[in-house]
Amino acid sequence: MNRQASTFWRSLEQAAADPAFLARAAQEFPGLAQALSEPLERRQALKLMAASLVMAGVSACDTKYGGELIPAVEIAPNIIAGLPNCYATAHVLDGYASGIVVKHLMGRPVKVEGNAKHPASLGAIDAYAQAQLLDFYDPDREAQINARAQPSDRQSLQAALAMQRALFAANHGKGLRILTGTISSPTLAGQLDALRTQYPQAQWTQWEPVSRDAVRQGARLAYGQVVDVIAHLERADVLVAIDGDLLSTAPGRLRYARDFASRRNPTRGPMNRLYAIEPTPTLLGSVADHRFIAEPDQLQRIVGALAAGILQNAPSAMPEWVGAIVEDLKAARGRALVHVGADQPAQIHAMAHAINEALGARGATFDLIDAVAHEPIDQADALRSLIADMSSGQVSHLLIIDSNPVYTAPASWGFAEALKQVPFSVALAGSSDETALSSLWFVPKTHDWEGWSDARAYDGTATIVQPQSLPLFGGMSAHELLSLYTGASPLSAEEAVRSTWASRLAGDFARGWREALANGVVPGTASASSTVRLRADAVQAAPVSSATDAALTLLFRPDSSLWDGRYANNPWLQELPRPLTKLVWDNPLLLAPALAKRLGLQNGDQVRLSVGQANVLAPIWIMPGQAPHCITASLGSGRRAAGSIGDGIGVDYYPLRALSGAVQLHKEQGHSQLASTVHHNLLTDTPSEILRHGTLADFNANPQFAANRIAEPQLYRRPPPGPAAWAMSVDLNACIGCNACIIACQAENNIPVVGKAQVLREREMHWLRVDRYFEGEPENPQSFFQPVLCMHCEQAPCENVCPVGATVHDSEGLNVMVYNRCVGTRFCSNNCPYKVRRFNFYGFGEEQHRPPQSFNPDVSVRARGVMEKCSYCIQRIAEARIVADREGHPVGEVKTACQSACPTQVFTFGNLADPDSEVAKRKASPLDFAMLEQQATKPRTTYEALVRNPNPAIKGQGT
Amino acid sequence: MSDATLTSLTGAVPVRAADAAEPRYRAHLDDPVIYPNVTVASMTDRVCAITLRKGPYLWWWLAFIPCLALTALLVVAIAYLFYAGIGIWGINWPVMWGFAILSYVWWIAIASGGTIISALFYLLRADWRTSINRIAESMMLFGAAAAGIYPILHLGRPWLFYWLFFYPNTMTLWAQFRSPLLWDFWALMTYVLSSVLFWYFGLIPDLASVRDRADSRIKQRIYGVFACGFRGSSRQWRHQRAAYGIMAALMAPVVVSIHSIVGLDFAGAATPGWHSTEFPPFFVCGALLSGFAIVLLLIVPLRRLLHFEDMMTGRHLNVLCKLLLTSSICIAYWYLMDAFTTFYGGDRAERAMFLARVFGPDKLVYWGAILLNCLLPQLFWSRWLRVHEPAIVLICLGVVLGMWLERYDIVVTSLQRPHLPSAWGIYHPTFWDWATLLGTIGMFLSGILLSVRYVPVISMHEMRTLIAQKNAAPAVTERT
Repeated sequence: MNRQASTFWRSLEQAAADPAFLARAAQEFPGLAQALSEPLERRQALKLMAASLVMAGVSACDTKYGGELIPAVEIAPNIIAGLPNCYATAHVLDGYASGIVVKHLMGRPVKVEGNAKHPASLGAIDAYAQAQLLDFYDPDREAQINARAQPSDRQSLQAALAMQRALFAANHGKGLRILTGTISSPTLAGQLDALRTQYPQAQWTQWEPVSRDAVRQGARLAYGQVVDVIAHLERADVLVAIDGDLLSTAPGRLRYARDFASRRNPTRGPMNRLYAIEPTPTLLGSVADHRFIAEPDQLQRIVGALAAGILQNAPSAMPEWVGAIVEDLKAARGRALVHVGADQPAQIHAMAHAINEALGARGATFDLIDAVAHEPIDQADALRSLIADMSSGQVSHLLIIDSNPVYTAPASWGFAEALKQVPFSVALAGSSDETALSSLWFVPKTHDWEGWSDARAYDGTATIVQPQSLPLFGGMSAHELLSLYTGASPLSAEEAVRSTWASRLAGDFARGWREALANGVVPGTASASSTVRLRADAVQAAPVSSATDAALTLLFRPDSSLWDGRYANNPWLQELPRPLTKLVWDNPLLLAPALAKRLGLQNGDQVRLSVGQANVLAPIWIMPGQAPHCITASLGSGRRAAGSIGDGIGVDYYPLRALSGAVQLHKEQGHSQLASTVHHNLLTDTPSEILRHGTLADFNANPQFAANRIAEPQLYRRPPPGPAAWAMSVDLNACIGCNACIIACQAENNIPVVGKAQVLREREMHWLRVDRYFEGEPENPQSFFQPVLCMHCEQAPCENVCPVGATVHDSEGLNVMVYNRCVGTRFCSNNCPYKVRRFNFYGFGEEQHRPPQSFNPDVSVRARGVMEKCSYCIQRIAEARIVADREGHPVGEVKTACQSACPTQVFTFGNLADPDSEVAKRKASPLDFAMLEQQATKPRTTYEALVRNPNPAIKGQGT
Repeated sequence: MSDATLTSLTGAVPVRAADAAEPRYRAHLDDPVIYPNVTVASMTDRVCAITLRKGPYLWWWLAFIPCLALTALLVVAIAYLFYAGIGIWGINWPVMWGFAILSYVWWIAIASGGTIISALFYLLRADWRTSINRIAESMMLFGAAAAGIYPILHLGRPWLFYWLFFYPNTMTLWAQFRSPLLWDFWALMTYVLSSVLFWYFGLIPDLASVRDRADSRIKQRIYGVFACGFRGSSRQWRHQRAAYGIMAALMAPVVVSIHSIVGLDFAGAATPGWHSTEFPPFFVCGALLSGFAIVLLLIVPLRRLLHFEDMMTGRHLNVLCKLLLTSSICIAYWYLMDAFTTFYGGDRAERAMFLARVFGPDKLVYWGAILLNCLLPQLFWSRWLRVHEPAIVLICLGVVLGMWLERYDIVVTSLQRPHLPSAWGIYHPTFWDWATLLGTIGMFLSGILLSVRYVPVISMHEMRTLIAQKNAAPAVTERT
């Protein structure tokens, strides 16, 4: 900063005194030189002063970062134009890390992949972590420190904090409170501990709106302390998921998805069996072999019956299928697991622990480890006591780090009002969110990719979070800001992280550090198994059933795209079709078909949902498979200060949270247009030419039960002559509908976001979509996911009908789209049986909420009036081809973007001409079938039929 | 016909007094094709009088101004389309084709009907064709013009439309021969070009007549330029008749080809609802039906407004109504076959699509088309209605609307139900869709009105032959 500052004119005299400057100025601005060299008149001096201040202000814009900024005249030695550089780091959500690798091109982050070396990722990545690319580049991010909503600067903040420090030194930090989310970062935890040592009266509170309090309480009930459960789904033959969240929100969900899917394809090993019992459809329930709907109170009775059946061998008064599950669990002793989702009460969790222990699952299908999060507490209680203290004036200084309680805390707790009672509040936030706007100081937080930190995964494995870029917008990290509370000079985050690990890394530190950074994991940091014993009274805490039969229950769930609302300003995530409703840009209340029918409601009708005195106006969506008396509200929408993308999208249900009154639903006038990407009703029977499925019994009777049926001779069979034959196999058994592939495709291929209005007009652009079909009774249907991307037909109908030859076949069997040649007749889309083509009705590519440098430079941004579609990531094939040419071997492995992101390895891509390739092996599977095979398009993308493993002892599906 | 005897008639002929026999203004079934009171001279006078008239027609202006306003709307719609992109229309994924294509098919059908009357019945030497062929040809011309702009507007990048031509280029790229769209483009080009030539070749002797009668220098110049120096020499007559005859012989198959190709645009695609070999003849029948309806809609008012009741008689209306009825029966057959083949073929997607068409959200479109195209024209079994002018107008309006609904049904409803239920959709036209459609209607009617006003509305030289056959001494009617 100083070096830059010295090039400014400190004063006009200084500049004027320089003879060289005067000569230069005389050459360019004769009048100016004269003006500068003459004695100044007052008015003239003021004018010049104003001008110089303006100019200094303009050039001061790039001095936010303290380091040196030198244009890369000579590119750094490790950067080769056109080739990517990858750096490992972690994506941290609610304290839990998942390993990622950020791909840079010419120093710019352009894509996020999973880190294969990280235990919570194994190469997979979820939609949130991938969409960080847009959060990182978000033009709405704030650059300016604000004090009382007025622009301020770092010096003023430091000065203000210095005064506060003096105060804390005197009163031992009395009245200092720190509010954060769940924290697993050893460095941040160390800083917080040091701060509380320095100021013993200071207190630290954690709050995450997506609560895992019940999980912690359940562990405490069962084991006397908070321990984390590590499930080993790959070892479980029988799984019972009670409102399960293993595939959607639980820490380690990517790993769980992989482990679960490894047991789902009967051609690759014995299948497991999953029972899901839940009040509202989850991803786990959607892929279950049996899905039972239960109201929350029924659920408690069912778990009670399961516990009774397994622990006491007591016959149950419950429906027959509960007994069947008990028998199945008992038969699979040591290979069974009961899992309970975080939304269920603690007693249910404790019961499940007891059941699992009784089934001999510990050490087999699950392990216990010491809690990964630092100082696990009951967050709801902690926040309420903090608010009480704030309201009563006991809090003089509140530091809020990366938490947005003004939006996320239940409105009835009154955080926003209490915050007004706090004389000194500082919010460190990524954007000027609701909390930042209500705080005295708002300090922009650097993005996770802009600074150093560390974090632990669900199993305790630590990752060092390393910066991917200089801060784009300035700001401070949590480490830096916290250090200003303990000392005068801000601590460099890198130093803080290094010093944390200096003592913990075994062997030579420099080498260990380098390896930890390169691998994205710190070896040997996974938590050891805990030895706690199950308490004898674990099951005695019987659950309390409060609800009467007809009463409605309101369930809150994190949004599958926006989580608790923190991703609301991310257009990729806003436009990501929610797995089961396929809705975008909205979060209506989910109602069971029966309830909607009783109230005479259609999709999109407005209702007033009230809990006690509080109420909100919201549209509804009819959700097949929903419990009849349950209403599901997804959190994270209705943001008031998210940014230009997320503001005012959807409905904010936080005001209804944590209320005890009766839930009531009234139909109101009005109707909202809800944008869903599917437009068909429930199918009584999924057409077998589209999605083939059967049971394990079908498969055992005839492994070919789903194979292609038509083998007619072809008139024009001209196999492409190229050395490779690119092809893909999609395993429907593995797909859990998590949407990671959609965002991967969108990021890799520069696919534009079109906005709600255009989705309503059915103009979404996703090259890869995950079709969802329901089959059976609307009350409790079976659901199916089917990723659909370009099939790369050998006899492609699109190619024949293009009058200008803009879509053609290449020698390796790719159906390629030549954007420059396309004139936009759209005949190809009409003739595509799979409808995988997308059209640029407007210049979508030019109107994106992201800077140009965030696009993948290897893929062109399509113009208005041009058709586009999945290319099998042709740029990745080209890259592999170049490498193969250079190294003189046949083209090797290519991974498409969807394939590398997928947590469950649904996609296998490769060279069909190579009989040893993975894709050739998968295509040899007896389950392999082509979608719409009667169209004789000979698609290169084929599917493995879905096999489910229902219990023969249970007739039918539902309760 | 005897060209030589007609030669002298192209020149100025002194005006004679109106003939004695009063024609009946209302159409009757027993009307002759031309009333005996019409003579060569009176006919020429009356036709040229419209073209050369100095004072304004009130009805003409009343009709022309709204049509011009609609044409202006078309200009605005096109300008905004080029500025903003085709996203302004209601098309979507999966209904990638909407008003542009269906209006194109509708207009081309209307144009084709004109060609059939003008060319096919010329070749068949139908005497009733003579007094209405100019109107039919104008209808063909402006219908083709209205149709012709759609394929270009329809493109995502219309400024690159010329990539459908075969032309040597630095990219060494050719158009793609297997696409029906390419052949459609070429068939349309052929059709538009030959329509213009056909219309113009037939017009030359009449323009010469107007030129010779024009009383101002400007009119003489303008009509003179367009008459191409036609002086009525036997050599010129021979060339004109030969060119016109060749064009007529070409136009009859071209009109079948253009409509077959348009049918193949759909039949060539594997889309449910389109993939049917019956489409080419089905579309040709549709073209006949809408063409006869529009011709009737034009001549019924024009014969009154221009006082041509003695030249466009009940005989004309009767014949055209019978033809319309015949085409309607053909169309009904194709509807029946459409339903039959769908279920006979047994393809699930085809069946689902057809059921959605018949009972789905757009069922009114399907049943509307059935009602208006198949059932309504059955009224023409009544001899009385075949010459009842208000009834003809209403039925023909119904048929024109019905044909539009049929196109909507084929283009839009089919696309709403593709193979995969996940890709089902719904189509809602926007303001700009309607603006473009109404704009082309305005453009078509403006063109017709301008041609009525400034181009001889009846083919005078052919009329002279007819009058010579019907109304003159037997010696003149001998054929050569």
